[in-house]
Amino acid sequence: MTPAFGASGRGGERLLALLVLPALIFVLAVFVVPVARFLTLSVDNAELGQGLSHTVAALAADPPAEGEAPGEAVFAALVADLAAAREVRQDALIAQALNQRMVGTRFLVIKTARDAARGDFTAPFRPAVLEAHPDWQDPAIWRTIAAHGGKLTDYHLLAALDLRRDAAGAIVQAPPEATLFRQLLGRTIWISVVVTAVCALLALPLASAITAAPPGWSRVLFALVLFPLWSSLLVRTVIWIIVLQRNGPVNAALVATGLTDAPITLIYTRFSLYLAMIQVLLPLMVLSVVSVMRRVPPSYMKAALSLGAPWFTAWRTVQLPLILPGLMAGSAIVFVFAIGYYVTPLLVGGPGDQMISSMIAFYTNQTLNWGLAAALSVQVLTLLVAMTLTGLALRALARRGVPA
Amino acid sequence: MIRIKPRLVALTAIAAALAVPAQAAKITVVGWGGTWDQAYKEGVWDVYEAETDNTIVMEEWAGELAKVRAQVQSGNITYDLVAAEAPSVEIGCAEGLFVPLSEEITGPADSYLPGTLHECGVASDTWATVLAYDKDAVGGVEPTSWADYFDIEKIPGKRGMLAQAQYTLENALMGDGVPAAEVYDVLSTPEGVDRAFAMLDSIRDHIVWWNTTTQAVQNLSSGEVVMTDQYNARITNEIQNEGKNWDIVWEAGFFYGTDMWAVVSGAPNEEAAIELVKWFSEPEHQAGFSKLYAYGTGRREAADFIPAEQLGHLPSSPEHAEFGAEYDTDFWVENKESLEARFKAWLGQ
Repeated sequence: MTPAFGASGRGGERLLALLVLPALIFVLAVFVVPVARFLTLSVDNAELGQGLSHTVAALAADPPAEGEAPGEAVFAALVADLAAAREVRQDALIAQALNQRMVGTRFLVIKTARDAARGDFTAPFRPAVLEAHPDWQDPAIWRTIAAHGGKLTDYHLLAALDLRRDAAGAIVQAPPEATLFRQLLGRTIWISVVVTAVCALLALPLASAITAAPPGWSRVLFALVLFPLWSSLLVRTVIWIIVLQRNGPVNAALVATGLTDAPITLIYTRFSLYLAMIQVLLPLMVLSVVSVMRRVPPSYMKAALSLGAPWFTAWRTVQLPLILPGLMAGSAIVFVFAIGYYVTPLLVGGPGDQMISSMIAFYTNQTLNWGLAAALSVQVLTLLVAMTLTGLALRALARRGVPA
Repeated sequence: MIRIKPRLVALTAIAAALAVPAQAAKITVVGWGGTWDQAYKEGVWDVYEAETDNTIVMEEWAGELAKVRAQVQSGNITYDLVAAEAPSVEIGCAEGLFVPLSEEITGPADSYLPGTLHECGVASDTWATVLAYDKDAVGGVEPTSWADYFDIEKIPGKRGMLAQAQYTLENALMGDGVPAAEVYDVLSTPEGVDRAFAMLDSIRDHIVWWNTTTQAVQNLSSGEVVMTDQYNARITNEIQNEGKNWDIVWEAGFFYGTDMWAVVSGAPNEEAAIELVKWFSEPEHQAGFSKLYAYGTGRREAADFIPAEQLGHLPSSPEHAEFGAEYDTDFWVENKESLEARFKAWLGQ
């Protein structure tokens, strides 16, 4: 019960619940439920686990000899599974899932399913299938199918960390030419950390100026900080392409002043990405810091200075601890925003500056691998939850350390 | 001031409704946007609207099949007819996202050029990715092959390159001396893939990557790059309409691919969209787009309706055809995910 709310007793609680309800329903319906549904795709194994359930069961009951294709019972189950899948147009999804795990099997599955549904295969199924599609002879396909049964799978979650399971089921590293996601995750975190740190460094003096300035000036400065927030993200981002391009004003100035002989590459680099992200996110940091700074009376710093502390010592021991909550809140907001950046890296970054969202978009839109897209989303979400918990734990520890 | 009589309006409306028993449909057609859409509107859709009661509502996308899958799965379909790359038509058709089209609708299969007719799609256009360069920027040494594109010493300057594996690995292998017709034999082997990446490695610091055609054309215009890979019609457009002193090196070898019109299963105007495809399948109507935009058609007879001058700019022109090979749709459907992931990891190294 919030005392500040002004209501008390059970009536107040009910009123409170009623006031919160619309927003709660809205958030649940348009955010929590759809996101949760999408995230479940990261462990869902409907295509192979259910689509090929009889084949997987038959393989378990009658495992093929080393280096050979399995026996009649397994082929009969495969034909039945694929024919049934074709009826409900699930065969292409099975083909996609198998092709992810073993490249080059997509059309084999689709063509076999088409023939199976048409009734082309009659008992004995093993020779019939092998005659029409000899690629089923490959024992690797059967090992792959046998290894990926079950309702749930950790395949995508492992893949999102450049891991996979070997034939014996142990978790191993993916081959070097297939490792991408750890590099991507590291880059995403690094870019976000740099952006957050630079925002904090820039926001401190700026916020001090806004708080210290006479009211009129303070308002003008504040409006200037907020101004970028009122323009569209796309405009704010694209403007950097114009400013930083080869024959743009920055390069013209560099050449005119003789600082460089020829125009230098500024746009589509990590540098331009940092610039654009910091410009977009800085206002959020300034807002957080200013709101806290305004509550710290200037007399504290004056008192410390008049007692003989050097300026930096006074600032570090008196001012900083008081504005730290604002700085932490601002950093958390900027970092969380930065982690999910997609449009800005796409427009002003180079291909080596893309962040995790670009791969989520790639798997969602282009290859329809929604399982891996969901697994990457889980990864980002886990990162943010872990950070929040660490932050909360640190705060609790800090509180305990300070005697009341 | 004219007073409109409500009763008269109502009667006119009823009369009009009775006179046209077939309900006029508003067909949502999803294209690639920009100059491509503009050419389709002027060359094809305006003609269709003039000939029928139906209207065309144009939307644009970037070929994301996920949008169609999400619409079909949720049952909330807003697209009727989409232009998609051949691999997407292949995948979407297998998943049942697109309506199968009979020869009654598309016209006889043997009247189509190879790769331009699919169970679920009719070619909207056949494009080529070519080597293009700025004649003023190469210092008199004109490139004649993809090997020249990868030779920084012979022709100094940055190269524009599409920032993805698909279409780029093919160019890299041609740069290493593999003829277009043999590229997929090489690319299907692990050694071939390594070879393509080694080729990219060799000019890594001289590449300016592009994601959109606008970027690529802009980079060639501003002198950021001296040559670039690009869709042929974009280059022809710039030469014809903007007076650029550019050229296409057809003889270096090129790959061509086909985009297709596909009807979305369960679309609100599915019937009308199928009728539209039937109308579009007439050679004369297919030619409407190629007359304005230097991309090829599906049906051979469409060439009869295209001026000879424009035919010379198409990838299918007899002067160029011998240097071209078709993009292997099936190869990319199976290998896209693994090769694009490797490509992105390579970019980040």
